[in-house]
Amino acid sequence: MASGVSKEAGVIVQMAERFKQDVERSQALFGDKTATISSLNELACECAEADWDGYGAQGMDPAAVTVAERLIRALPMDIPMPECAPEPDGSISLDWWESRYRIVSVSVSPSARLAFAWLDGTDRGHAVARFDGSAVPERLLQEIRRIMPNASLRAA
Amino acid sequence: MLPSGLPEQIDNDEDVARFLVYGRQFSSTSVKPAAFLPNPKDGETSVSRHGREPADQLWQLGREAAGNRTLHGAAIIKAATVREATLELVADEPPERHAVIRGWPLLEADQELQQAKQKELAVFLAAAAGPPVQRSLG
Repeated sequence: MASGVSKEAGVIVQMAERFKQDVERSQALFGDKTATISSLNELACECAEADWDGYGAQGMDPAAVTVAERLIRALPMDIPMPECAPEPDGSISLDWWESRYRIVSVSVSPSARLAFAWLDGTDRGHAVARFDGSAVPERLLQEIRRIMPNASLRAA
Repeated sequence: MLPSGLPEQIDNDEDVARFLVYGRQFSSTSVKPAAFLPNPKDGETSVSRHGREPADQLWQLGREAAGNRTLHGAAIIKAATVREATLELVADEPPERHAVIRGWPLLEADQELQQAKQKELAVFLAAAAGPPVQRSLG
């Protein structure tokens, strides 16, 4: 039985559907980044003054906030968004949690070098990698993808 | 014996509490590693020698530590965990029951490497702490 829709029209409908899915996915991912950056900026305001932790912490360093925002913007689409937390020396912590014993945590300071550490069951370690402001260091991405193996599935 | 009546030496089985006065230091399921990082001024992490119970006494100590800030909860870890992380845990009264975690890696020539080394230990402590004890603010 004839469908009443030409072959060409069917292709266009399929392309439109694919385009719609791509746009929706981009919006979902971009929305996640926007929300994380918004959360980061809230944190920066709340911890701008010293002693925000009651134990004598330094105020959040605005230059560290700028670097952290660049790092979040530079995260590839398959990497889930981190949670942001303040550190007592004015740096910002970006944390990825797969479970209680599978964690990657990055310390972002005004420096171009990122300090990070991970826990993978009983294995743990740390490293430092240079961030040029636009591309996330491959060494860091490897650790995040290793600790968060389902990240790609969640982002898809 | 210390003014609090506790022994000077902290036993490995003792619990210590790190009070949480900022909401982004924890979630319902975990304490962020940053909550355990040392104060940059003295290189120490303040804790109180107390476990989950009795809760009234825990929160009394927490209120004194928090001052005029909102006390949200506490991360509790065993003294043995601190030592397993190759850190020191020593009594530091007054105030009563106060103790400090010290011995954090220091590398003045490389601040980022110092941060990374300290972060590794903080991640270890955060995982050991598990979910925080949250205080009802109602």
